[in-house]
Amino acid sequence: MSARTTARSDTGGRAKSALLTGALLLPISVWYLLLLVVPLVMVAIFSFGRRAPNGGYVADFTLDNYARALGTIDPFLTSLSMAIGGTIGTLLVGLPLAYFMATRAGRWKGLLLLLLIIPFWTSFLIRTYSWLILLGQGGLAGFLADLTGGEFRILGTWSAVMVGLVYGYLPLMVFPIYVTLERMDRTLIEASKDLGAGRWASFRQVTLPIALPGLVTGSLLVFIPMMGEYVIPQILGYGRVFLMGNALYLDFVEFRNWPAGSAKAVMLIVIMLVAITFYLWFLNRGRRTREVSML
Amino acid sequence: MNDIDRMLRTTPINRRSALGVLGLTGASAALAACAGGTSPAPSTEASAPASVAASTEPSAAASFEAESELLIYNWTDYISDKNLAEFKTRYGTDVTQDFFASNEEFITKVQAGGSGYDLGCPTAEYVQALIEAGIVQKLDHSRIPNLQYINPTFLNNAWDPNADYMIPKDYGTTGILYRTKLVPEPVTSWKDLYDLTIGKYSGKVVFVNSMGDVFPMPLKMLGYSVNDNDPAHLEEARKIFLDLAPHILALDSDTYDDKMTSGEALLVLGWTGPITDLKANPDTADTVYLVPTEGTIFWMDVWMMFADAPHPNASYAWLNFIHEPAIQAEETIANYYATANDEAKKLVPAEILNDPAVFPPDDVIASLEGSLDHSGVQQRADIWAEFASKIGG
Amino acid sequence: MTAPTIPASGVREMPRPRVGPKVDRLGLLVEGYFRAHTVLVYAFLYLPILVVVLFSFNANRQATVWLGFSTAWYGEAFRDVFVQKALLNSFIVAIPNAILATTFGTMAALGLQRVGRKTRSSYDSLTYISVIVPEITIALATLIFFASSFDVVNPILSALQGDPAKPFKLGFGHSTIIAAHVLFNTSLVLLIVRARLSGMDRTLVEASYDLFATPWRTFRQITFPQLLPAIVAGFLLAFTFSFDDYLITTFNSGPASSTLPLWIFGQLRKTVTPETNAVATMVLAFTLGMLFVGQWVLRRQSRRGGQEASMASIITEER
Repeated sequence: MSARTTARSDTGGRAKSALLTGALLLPISVWYLLLLVVPLVMVAIFSFGRRAPNGGYVADFTLDNYARALGTIDPFLTSLSMAIGGTIGTLLVGLPLAYFMATRAGRWKGLLLLLLIIPFWTSFLIRTYSWLILLGQGGLAGFLADLTGGEFRILGTWSAVMVGLVYGYLPLMVFPIYVTLERMDRTLIEASKDLGAGRWASFRQVTLPIALPGLVTGSLLVFIPMMGEYVIPQILGYGRVFLMGNALYLDFVEFRNWPAGSAKAVMLIVIMLVAITFYLWFLNRGRRTREVSML
Repeated sequence: MNDIDRMLRTTPINRRSALGVLGLTGASAALAACAGGTSPAPSTEASAPASVAASTEPSAAASFEAESELLIYNWTDYISDKNLAEFKTRYGTDVTQDFFASNEEFITKVQAGGSGYDLGCPTAEYVQALIEAGIVQKLDHSRIPNLQYINPTFLNNAWDPNADYMIPKDYGTTGILYRTKLVPEPVTSWKDLYDLTIGKYSGKVVFVNSMGDVFPMPLKMLGYSVNDNDPAHLEEARKIFLDLAPHILALDSDTYDDKMTSGEALLVLGWTGPITDLKANPDTADTVYLVPTEGTIFWMDVWMMFADAPHPNASYAWLNFIHEPAIQAEETIANYYATANDEAKKLVPAEILNDPAVFPPDDVIASLEGSLDHSGVQQRADIWAEFASKIGG
Repeated sequence: MTAPTIPASGVREMPRPRVGPKVDRLGLLVEGYFRAHTVLVYAFLYLPILVVVLFSFNANRQATVWLGFSTAWYGEAFRDVFVQKALLNSFIVAIPNAILATTFGTMAALGLQRVGRKTRSSYDSLTYISVIVPEITIALATLIFFASSFDVVNPILSALQGDPAKPFKLGFGHSTIIAAHVLFNTSLVLLIVRARLSGMDRTLVEASYDLFATPWRTFRQITFPQLLPAIVAGFLLAFTFSFDDYLITTFNSGPASSTLPLWIFGQLRKTVTPETNAVATMVLAFTLGMLFVGQWVLRRQSRRGGQEASMASIITEER
């Protein structure tokens, strides 16, 4: 620790420091204001309006849309269970991979990282269609049917949807965990072992706390979008479940009832924001986290 | 022709469309009352193109110099390559196309202000909403002399009686596709489809994921018009929907042909699009398409010009060009959809002309109805959402 | 080490030392598991890709039903002007978007460490909201925002310009798509970089300032190298999201700015032909090709320099 006072103890330095902070936050602030806050304010206003006769929005003040939105509790719960299941699945598949990449891969780290993301530069649609082939009667389902001599169906069931979800969201789980674990100093583990800790204890008290921010970020980056996901279940699950995403798409695009869709969207956003804030607070309440500027 | 007449002119109109029709009729009457000017110059038209030679002759469409670019918002693969090349040769205009995946996406985007195109190619019933929003440009017929070749009952249809805003591109129907080899029972009506779906072939039936195309089924089964919005009638339709829902394999507009090929779907409520490919594949060559006896909807894709079209000259040149009989016939050959242009029909090869899936025979035409845009009818929306949520049980 | 035993005979014997390294069976099992898991995951990832490549040679028009071998679709793709433009547009949109998102996100991550807790919470909430908003909602809301802005700004612009033959107007196109994508991707980068920053040690930074380094110098030589994996990861993800995005792009694109996903989804109502597979295979071949060429070039260079290096070590921190 330096005994010297930093150069920022004088007011000129403090002003410069504030200027730097402002400059750093300027671009994102502009984007958030113009392309997030303003559009969402419009959505909120729409949620109190009525559907224009030809579709769209007409100014009004009514709570009808919210009353109807409360009726979407079923799709919400279905989406919730799908998102939870999907996140757990992605975690089980992604965490060991991220750990291996960060701690064991050595020279091949970057290569593995790139190889992980390159499949996603082919189109989402034909990737998903490939799963239709792989899991269909010409693929796995047919193979298993021949094996068991009976009928076997994977497509149109939750299994197919899970495969599709884990496949599609894997990078979002792996990348955050990787970047946190990669920073971990291996000597810490060795020190821990030298002090007599077993493998599991080392993991729990050294590795896990370091990986935790990555785990949290990864889980949220997977769970949140999965709540709105409906295309993968539509294609691989044959649309046999009705999700929040379906309800929103119907409102906005099929019925062109923007107020109804907006109310559902607002409710979803509020519920999830509250849930996540609570979740993060719960996670961090014991931890002594201190934000220090790395600049 | 009487039957088409009846189909197209006497489609029961609900209050909303009556207003629209009256509005249009009023506007065109007012226009006709004006002395025959060249450009109607509605308030929604963009700045006058600088290169317009103010000609008072209605027939010389080529006297307007077409711009070098034309922007069309269209379905994929919906214009013959030969025609695009021919257009370029004649007018020197490059046609740039952007593609949309569904009418709903088209209209949602355009209605919300997404713009920049010259021409659009949606299905007719969706244009009404855009007309009332002032997004569609009124057409100057004097610049489209080839309109004379279009069958008047298609040109002056219930959606746009005076063809002020849209010109027919092609038309087709929504019906039943099924594998004759795997379904030995006779399938001729919606009732047959209903019985087989809740009965023997439960779990092997696919409906397209489109409210406008599926709602006519129960309504026609019950003997009502597809544009019937009587709450009691819609409630009856709802019961049929709920009967069907648990037995339907999927609501799928895009891969039902694959499902037919794999044998997962034996009966489909769908469109004629995949029929050529299915028939070409020896495994599925037994697939047939039919229009049910109770009747069904016929859809018509139309050309419309955006009010703020950046290249109006090229747009008019295109609209006139595409209805030149030889050009239009080439479209029919390339796209395998029926044309409303009588002169072009004479140039269409016999095997397409005689294909009932493409050109419905007269007795079938008698049972066809044009559907209006009912996306705003709350009861329909609720029923559809309920139906979609109960698919598969 | 076992304690010396006292045999019955009373003679003290030293325990025999173990010969050879201690066999950590559990450790080997764990290592083996990690390796196997990784291999399986990559097999899982590339299995559909194999199918995509295979079916690009499908003679059938239906992309998912195999009917014989044919290279016709590659010819089709080379002749197809629309798909070429779409592919070009995808890159025109995705690369600037990734650059902007990575820059803005990293800047914001660093900036957020310097503000008070309340401000930080507000930004955190906004970040999470930007991820929570359903895509269809933000796509349409952004569309309306742009359309309304254009309606307000364009008359002013045309008034300022007098009345030329072709007035400059704001419209939908590449810029609107990029702007819309940057929102979500900046949040993405921000979250990943912050995960990396969390718990980072400030000692080196302080040392740097003690040595009178400017903030830029400190960033370039201390902070940036430590953040590099997160920045690279963020860049890759931002690029990927933009390249593969459909909903936001559909509603915020303009004439002649359709991207590859728009072209592909447009095919849905007709038939998705193996041309789509051919295009995807070509993109794949191109990127994998670049990857391996880059790797090879760097190995040659480093071998000349007498130092073993690889592309992998350049883009990640090598210890």
